[in-house]
Amino acid sequence: MIEINNLTKVYKLSKKQMQEQKTKKNMKKAVDGVSLKASKGEIYGLLGPNGAGKTTTLRCIATLLKPTDGNVSVCGFDTVKEGEEVRKKIGFLTNEIKLDPQFSPEYMFKFFGRLHGIDDKTIKERQEKLFSYFGIHDFKDKKINDLSTGMKQKAAIAVSLVHDPEVIIFDEPTNGLDIVTARSVTDYLKQLKEEGKLVIISTHIMSEAEKLCDRIGIIINGKKVTEGTLNEILEETKTSDLEDAFFQLYKEHNVEEV
Amino acid sequence: MNGIKTIVAKELSRVFSDKKLVVSLFILPVVLIIGIYALMGQLASNQEADIEKHVPIIAIQNEPEGFADFMKSISFNGKIKTIESDSDIKAYKDGILKGKKDVLVVFDQGFLDSITNYKDGDKIPEVKTYYNPSEDYSQSARTEFVDTVLASYKQQLLQQRFGNLESLSVFNVDVNSDSSVIMNEDKASGKVLGSLLPYLITFMLFASAMSLGVDAITGEKERGTLASMLITPIKRRDIVLGKLISLSILSMLSAAVYAVGMIVAFPMMMKNMSDSADLGLTMSFSAVQIIELLAIMLTLVFLYVGLVAGVAVFARTAKEATTYVTPIYIIVLVAGMITMVSSGTPDSYYFAIPVYGSALSIQGLLTGDLTTVQLAFALLSNVGLGAILTAVISSAFNNEKVMFNA
Repeated sequence: MIEINNLTKVYKLSKKQMQEQKTKKNMKKAVDGVSLKASKGEIYGLLGPNGAGKTTTLRCIATLLKPTDGNVSVCGFDTVKEGEEVRKKIGFLTNEIKLDPQFSPEYMFKFFGRLHGIDDKTIKERQEKLFSYFGIHDFKDKKINDLSTGMKQKAAIAVSLVHDPEVIIFDEPTNGLDIVTARSVTDYLKQLKEEGKLVIISTHIMSEAEKLCDRIGIIINGKKVTEGTLNEILEETKTSDLEDAFFQLYKEHNVEEV
Repeated sequence: MNGIKTIVAKELSRVFSDKKLVVSLFILPVVLIIGIYALMGQLASNQEADIEKHVPIIAIQNEPEGFADFMKSISFNGKIKTIESDSDIKAYKDGILKGKKDVLVVFDQGFLDSITNYKDGDKIPEVKTYYNPSEDYSQSARTEFVDTVLASYKQQLLQQRFGNLESLSVFNVDVNSDSSVIMNEDKASGKVLGSLLPYLITFMLFASAMSLGVDAITGEKERGTLASMLITPIKRRDIVLGKLISLSILSMLSAAVYAVGMIVAFPMMMKNMSDSADLGLTMSFSAVQIIELLAIMLTLVFLYVGLVAGVAVFARTAKEATTYVTPIYIIVLVAGMITMVSSGTPDSYYFAIPVYGSALSIQGLLTGDLTTVQLAFALLSNVGLGAILTAVISSAFNNEKVMFNA
């Protein structure tokens, strides 16, 4: 149960950032009036090009960013006023947040389990389950620094799920993974859905969104341009696959800042 | 509370599981300090031994009759060259300037005659020495020649003139000089150590807090590992406290290691370097003093860690953080130095100045002058500022601009 009402997030740009982005405006609207609802037992996908505002939206849900305007609630808790309650409910994964490279997956799993207030016995059970699923047992004692990209991502996913969260927020979870590992991740997300969890992911991979997501919201330039099941979106745009649908919407809506 | 404990445990194990870090934080400093001090002491004693071994080269003009025998009789060891009264002494002066000769001694012409025929109002004959104070050999040869040879020669001549010298003394001052010194040994030795220790303690604590704190805060921010804790339900304040407490423990350990290194190495250097062996390096603490010292150090290290973390949390890169911390480091150094040179009893409110007050307190504690009010001021100012800094850092942890450069 995520409810986003009219979410707007404006970043102030420093002079240096303005130069880098070749803009004269000192404000950047990363997310512009996005509203959406997602409920238990579904996988919701945020689809959009790089810089569209997907990550910002997810970070707002995860309480890391405060909305400039509008509000976000998770399981009925407001992300700004009741951040701690929200954080109890969510498992959040993003590329920019990393596990301490000096520690092993096992140590990190235990560490975050404890920070979530879980007792050691439950942590052990969760570890057994998740480490077996993702095949982490073989490298659970190695330093994260020495792991491959795929191993790191698997460890990060396992750690983010240590507290068996009701809401799973994954920012581009298959980014940089090979096809086998990516498949095991998406399969697990489906399994979580079956268990009645809400999964919300961001992606720019069309096939992933097509196969995995029950509902898709397409974000372009910070605005949600459409939302629905795959079929609804195809019908609306009168196209035969998601990629065509996306490009049609992109042409239509990416006219700003000319 | 559990969250704080978990974070402290993780921070400590991060340091102690890293062999390189352990070596560079705790082992290398001690080895270096002891090594440097031992080397300094060794060099100094080598130099001294070298001077002692050196046979002074001394030229004497107008040497009085029997002077050579006299030198032999008091077994003065030196290469003596006698110069005729009409020869030029410029060459000898040049030699002294260049360090090839040590001392030139010129007796007045007819030295012994003027002494034997002395009447009231006559000009007193002179012995003139030429030497080079910038040359160790020359300086020490001159001192030895004047203090031993000329002094006893004078005694001998006085005895010839007056017979019994005791009638000349009239009275003595402090025959037994040891018994005339009245002082509190603890306070005296505390003064020497007291001028040095506050300085050492304050800056050593800060030095270790600085290197550790920048990595633990800015380093983690850069690596993206700090944010992983921000998405757990634990309170921001607990994360900050966990960080600060673990940093305090590590800084204390590191400073303790330094201190032990100093205490071991310092006497090694001093023993070799000077004759004044009693530098007051042995001192005893009462239980109360130890507790007071620990209280000051604990609150001080918490404040330092807070200062470093406060700067580190706002810096974007570790390099930036180090640049911002440096001015604070200098202030800490200066605060310690002021206590080294200041004298007199400072007013109590000075003790409420963070950092400086602690340095004063440690100094006062060692000389036994610290009052309860002064101690309370110092502790409260440390804890107070530390608490304010903790609050500031906690709110920075909540600030998306600080945490994510957003």
